[in-house]
Amino acid sequence: MAYLWQQCSGGARLILHGDPIIFGLLWVTVRVALVSTAAAVAIGLPFGVVLGLGRFRGRRALQILANASLALPPVVVGVVVLLLLVPQGALGSLRIGFTLTAVYVVQTILALPYVVALTPAAIQGVAPGLLDQARALGAARLQLAVLALREARIGMVAAVIAALGAAVSEVGAVVIVGGNVVGHDQTLASSLLANFTYGDTDPHNAGIAIMLAILVIVLLGSLSLLAHRSGGIRLRFRGG
Amino acid sequence: MTLLWSELQAAVALIVDGNPTLWSVIGFTLQVVAIATGVAAIVGIPIGLTIGLGRFRARRVCQALANASLGLPPALVGTGLFLLFARPAPLGALELVFTRRAVFIAQSILALPYTVALTAAAVQGLAPGLLDQARRLGASRPQVFVLALREARVGVMAAIIAALGTALSEVAAIAIVGGNAYGYDQTLASATLFQVDAGNYADALAIAIVLVALILVLMCGAGVLQQRVGIRLRFAPSR
Repeated sequence: MAYLWQQCSGGARLILHGDPIIFGLLWVTVRVALVSTAAAVAIGLPFGVVLGLGRFRGRRALQILANASLALPPVVVGVVVLLLLVPQGALGSLRIGFTLTAVYVVQTILALPYVVALTPAAIQGVAPGLLDQARALGAARLQLAVLALREARIGMVAAVIAALGAAVSEVGAVVIVGGNVVGHDQTLASSLLANFTYGDTDPHNAGIAIMLAILVIVLLGSLSLLAHRSGGIRLRFRGG
Repeated sequence: MTLLWSELQAAVALIVDGNPTLWSVIGFTLQVVAIATGVAAIVGIPIGLTIGLGRFRARRVCQALANASLGLPPALVGTGLFLLFARPAPLGALELVFTRRAVFIAQSILALPYTVALTAAAVQGLAPGLLDQARRLGASRPQVFVLALREARVGVMAAIIAALGTALSEVAAIAIVGGNAYGYDQTLASATLFQVDAGNYADALAIAIVLVALILVLMCGAGVLQQRVGIRLRFAPSR
């Protein structure tokens, strides 16, 4: 037990003393999580709303496709995006291969399925009478979309939580596309991968792991609290 | 598009030629998936049932914990296991680091939250009257569990499918605690990572294609099974 204790306390001490490596990684991780989640919401929300409210042919097929894309392995997405972004690739002229920008791009792609697939699910969970009534009362399409999103906000927060969780903890694609360069495009999670492959066990790894756990708990915990507050209470008032 | 296209052609050629290492990686992946999903189902479903049906004080806390564990970063699990299994560590005597057994353990732990949390959710989604009635009619606890499991089988299947997907595509934990050793303890996903690191893009793409194919086959198979099971459910109430 001494070894485990020594590792964990060593890691905790590094965090308390503001270790620049760990906090640098934290900063990159937070940026990647926020940028890719925001981009995924901005791009995915319109698609999700159309899938949830639309009444066109092929809607079910598209929804199945969106659900299936949740099972896309990050490493596969990583390889395909990498082959597009390397200098010889189709998008090589953008010169973003092995950069933080590439990491943003690939994590956005990975977060996108959560927004696109979970938004329609949330909207379809809204009492159907409500939206029909709004339609009958002559609500415009945009008004209908806003109403549906407001009513489905608990589901929406769940979608954002899922996207954020994926952005924080996925490594497969980050490592492949970013090249896992120390101090540049390494996240907390991907740095753990790099360090251990060399069999290295200094307390930095334990410190990074503790920091990652704290980040996940704080980020996702506060969002779920928000979901409970904003959704549950106001909704209950209206229902009463 | 040229590079992706040419690498894709090379990858297809690699698959068609039937590279022997590719087959051994596929074999090991299936082994990992079977063990991890099996362990997650055998251990997780009873826990999920207990959380979903139980009437004990800490039930809500347990459920919140189970839901939260879905967000556990695989890299964190890998690090935790490494720190437990490393030579000077508490479980160091078992010599598990960088072995296949470590990969089995890591993927089982990652798959477990899905079966626990989603089984609990599925059971709680059942019409409450049904179980209460069974209880009042004098059903013993195991009988109530079996009834709940039967009624919630579509949701429980979804939980198993989610566990399956995790075991197939997660790489971080097994790369850390298994070491991602070529030809030894690589799954399709971690082998992809390895080949990209080595600069063998065609090999990486070939493995990635096989991985996607395997996911499609397993998921579709499980999905069809789930629907079959679901149809029987629809029949039952009309009797």
